[in-house]
Amino acid sequence: MTLVAMDSATNAVPSRPSRRGAKPRWEGGIASYLFVAGYTVLLAAFGIFPTGYALYLAFTNDRGQFVGFNQFSKVAGDYRFLPAFENIAVYLALWLVMLVVMTVLTAVALRSWVRPGLSSLLRFLYYLPGALAGVASVLVWLFMLDPSVSPAGPLLRAIGQDSFAATLNPSHLPVILFLIAFWTGAGGWIVVMYGALNNISEDVLEAARMDGAGRWKTAWHIQIPMIRKWITYMSILAFAAGTQLFVEPQLLQTASLGRVSPTWSPNQLAYVYAFQQGDFNGAAAISIFLLVLGLVCAGVLVARSDLFKLEEQ
Amino acid sequence: MALFALFFVLPVIWLLLAPSKTADQVVHDWPLSFGSFSQIGHAWSHLISFQNHALLTWMRNSAIYSGGSLVLTLATSVPAGYALALTRFRGRTTLLVVTLISMIMPSATLVLPIFLEMNQFHLIGTIWSVILPFSFYPFGVYLVYIYFATSLPREIIAAARIDGCSEWQVFTRIALPLARPVVGLVAFFSFVGNWNNFFLPYLVLPNSDQFPVQVGLNQLLSSTPSFNPVAGAGLNITIPELALAIIVAILPVLVLFLFSQRSLVSGMLAGATKG
Amino acid sequence: MKPLRSPNHNARARTASAIAVAMCTAVALAGCASAAKSTSPAGASSAFKPAKQDTSAKTTVWTDSTRLPQVQQYQKEHPEAKLNIVTYDGGADGSTYLQSKIQLFDRTGNGWPDVVFGSPTDVTWASQPTNPSAVPFAAPLDDNLVPKTTLDNFAKGSLSPCQYNGHTYCVRNDIAQVVLWYNKTLLDKWGYQVPSTWPEYQTLGEKIAKEHPGYLVGAVGDTNSQESYFWSSQCPAFQLTDPTTLRVNLQDPHCTRAASLLDSLISAKAVSTQGFFSQGFTKGSAGKVAMAYGPSWYGQYLFNAAFKVPAGQITAAPPLTWPGDSSPATGNVGGGLWMVSSHSSNLKAATDLVTWLTTSDSNQGSAPTYPAYVPAAKTWLANPTNSKYFATDISPAFEQAANEVWTGWSNTKFSDATAWSSIVLPGLTAGKSLTSLLPSWQKAISDEAKANGYTVTNQ
Repeated sequence: MTLVAMDSATNAVPSRPSRRGAKPRWEGGIASYLFVAGYTVLLAAFGIFPTGYALYLAFTNDRGQFVGFNQFSKVAGDYRFLPAFENIAVYLALWLVMLVVMTVLTAVALRSWVRPGLSSLLRFLYYLPGALAGVASVLVWLFMLDPSVSPAGPLLRAIGQDSFAATLNPSHLPVILFLIAFWTGAGGWIVVMYGALNNISEDVLEAARMDGAGRWKTAWHIQIPMIRKWITYMSILAFAAGTQLFVEPQLLQTASLGRVSPTWSPNQLAYVYAFQQGDFNGAAAISIFLLVLGLVCAGVLVARSDLFKLEEQ
Repeated sequence: MALFALFFVLPVIWLLLAPSKTADQVVHDWPLSFGSFSQIGHAWSHLISFQNHALLTWMRNSAIYSGGSLVLTLATSVPAGYALALTRFRGRTTLLVVTLISMIMPSATLVLPIFLEMNQFHLIGTIWSVILPFSFYPFGVYLVYIYFATSLPREIIAAARIDGCSEWQVFTRIALPLARPVVGLVAFFSFVGNWNNFFLPYLVLPNSDQFPVQVGLNQLLSSTPSFNPVAGAGLNITIPELALAIIVAILPVLVLFLFSQRSLVSGMLAGATKG
Repeated sequence: MKPLRSPNHNARARTASAIAVAMCTAVALAGCASAAKSTSPAGASSAFKPAKQDTSAKTTVWTDSTRLPQVQQYQKEHPEAKLNIVTYDGGADGSTYLQSKIQLFDRTGNGWPDVVFGSPTDVTWASQPTNPSAVPFAAPLDDNLVPKTTLDNFAKGSLSPCQYNGHTYCVRNDIAQVVLWYNKTLLDKWGYQVPSTWPEYQTLGEKIAKEHPGYLVGAVGDTNSQESYFWSSQCPAFQLTDPTTLRVNLQDPHCTRAASLLDSLISAKAVSTQGFFSQGFTKGSAGKVAMAYGPSWYGQYLFNAAFKVPAGQITAAPPLTWPGDSSPATGNVGGGLWMVSSHSSNLKAATDLVTWLTTSDSNQGSAPTYPAYVPAAKTWLANPTNSKYFATDISPAFEQAANEVWTGWSNTKFSDATAWSSIVLPGLTAGKSLTSLLPSWQKAISDEAKANGYTVTNQ
């Protein structure tokens, strides 16, 4: 069994039969090991070993005694545990749904409705904020959300947010974080989706047109299914990034002068456990929760899509 | 569509205009007005004098960390992705699966164990405590792997072997020249990702002279009177300075972005188009 | 190319769910060791054992950017001192940067700074070991490091956040005693008397709101407003009855009286629910602050630097009193301190530095905030740069307030700002009354206290 990823989603031509025919010789011998050696060392040092250590911490206490699942039940019983996971769930639902819907719709619209020159300009404009990821994006949005300096001040006031404090109400946080993530992240994906749409051969679209399919029909029945793999791929990466939310709420917490809870996201809670309460074992247990959650969801997405095809050798 | 564009562009325009105004003007003038060029100079000199050119030091640090780990990332991930895609060896599937899992691993899980590990090797406080973990980039390996698996037919490799090429020659003469788009892609993601990374350097670097610029921005933020009334008072770091600092901090990434859009897309899609 | 799903895949899914089930059962059945973090045996404070001393060792100093010039000044006056100066956020606004770093250094066994600037909250963890094998970070300064006569000269109660288990672990840089700030020019023009009790304050506030709409007598929207109002009112919100028991009773009359007074002023629009330090405030109301109940640094930092009120208008009056209270009390908002690391290999140099920073006239006399060291405070008040901005002499108000800081608001392992900022302030912004928010504030403090290992009593 091997994994072959992302085969020609957008390519209408069936793949060459040769690949599935007689088994080609493609051994690499000793050289293969040399090729992967450097990466394997890094993987062992910064992937496997730390994970193993985190697992060890999660199953022991600070005296090194084995505690079974007690660390897990302890952190799960913490009053901040459920809210943190709820926060992240609301944010992820919003972020994933909006990301998929908006990027795909925009890409389709840019591909089929907009003149090429304008479309390329728009794509560039959407894509540009991606350069301001991380700390920079949060800082910019701190100002965007403050009605007294924001260019969108009148809009903020119109929806009843007449002070920075009001905008930063904790219940708005999923939306704010979504806006920030969308602002920096969506453009790149729009560009990628657009490129994928561009790769759909004209013949296919022409054939659809001949059959009398309108733009909507073409989009829904031809274009979107053909970029499905990219959508799944985007979802997995967006999901993985979303569960790791740390810098953004942390900075909002600093900047909002503490209105945002310091344990808004599970990662922040783990951070507080480790560095404020000095409980590295509890922190490790929270991280393992996150890890399992991430793996399960990604596993489901991968299994339900054709993203990673499983070939029998 | 236009509204959508406004959403993406407006903050950028505001950011570019803010340093041209005084802190008062930022609050009282129309948000999208332009102040004066001399004010940019003032903001710049305030910013530069913050802790004796700290901003420049941070920029230099960021360049070292991102650049150093970029070299290591490329040196390790390109051969690894190639070998995973086009050669067969014991443990290959395991390595692939582990790579996929690492891609979606919550980064914060690993920061603490990595710190302790670094300490074992007496690397804390050195540039290696940032560069080495940054160099571990499973996503890069995965991109290279997809690229080779889908765009380089194995028959070519097999034929080269029959012609008597050594494995190393196959890699350097056939695979590498074809890999340029994906190398660019990995380099772009790795550089941008590391430039913007916050959590790891925030924890492992004790000294503010060693901060990369993203961690430095955080320190600037806590020095702005409007966000930190107690500690920040009396300093010259106000909104225009902060906006200018943001611009400076993202400048390298911004330049990359300006010139990489096209190759980025072709690289991302390469696996799909050439399959 | 139809994907063939490997049968392994389902098997793996089954294994995963089996593990999940097993996990749940195991949690129920686990008879293993306790997951609780071990606590340091109370009272068993082993004698302080300094590290091997080396009088030529370099001293690493962590300071916030506000105090950086002072450390540089020390270097200038003491060219022979070998300093390595590092700036960090100084523990402002409940930042846990210092604590995180010390936790990590305790694990690695090296890297500690010799001298740090910090907040009172920092002492609560620095005076205790962070893990069973660690040594408390802060060195007991009363243990042959700083002479008792020097320690005795700090303002009354100002060192209490430094004290734990009979030892003093820090020296206070400055105190931020709460006084009544007012705009003398405005009050004189309108012909009002400066209030001296809380009921007078309330009456005057309501009057100003009615006769001069838009003018304010206070704001409760800052992260530290609770320290100005509830601390001054002697509200038992953070009261340690013993080192591990915290009393949180916000239904106590001392709390409800402050809440209802503020509620009526808020509804009269005399007190703003925004923070003095928020952007929106500077834009809208900066010139309309007739009075403000707050710390000694409001004068320079708020009125002068942020609001840009011209010199000669603002001045301070002594703290307000509640009718029926036997002893006057006021709050304290911030005030930093210096700690020396117990791991320092040059304790003498480190101690010299903190002593100079906190007690010397040459430093404190021109410090940006009010010195905790009484002789230095006199010099500070006499320094014209510190007083020329004000309409009248602020010394009586400052000196009186410095001695009236209520000691029942304890220094806890967690910041008193978190619950206030994340529960009460959003509620106020949403239009709820302070009185109605007291129960949820109490719950938030109690939860946080329990998570930090305190036994909580709400009586």
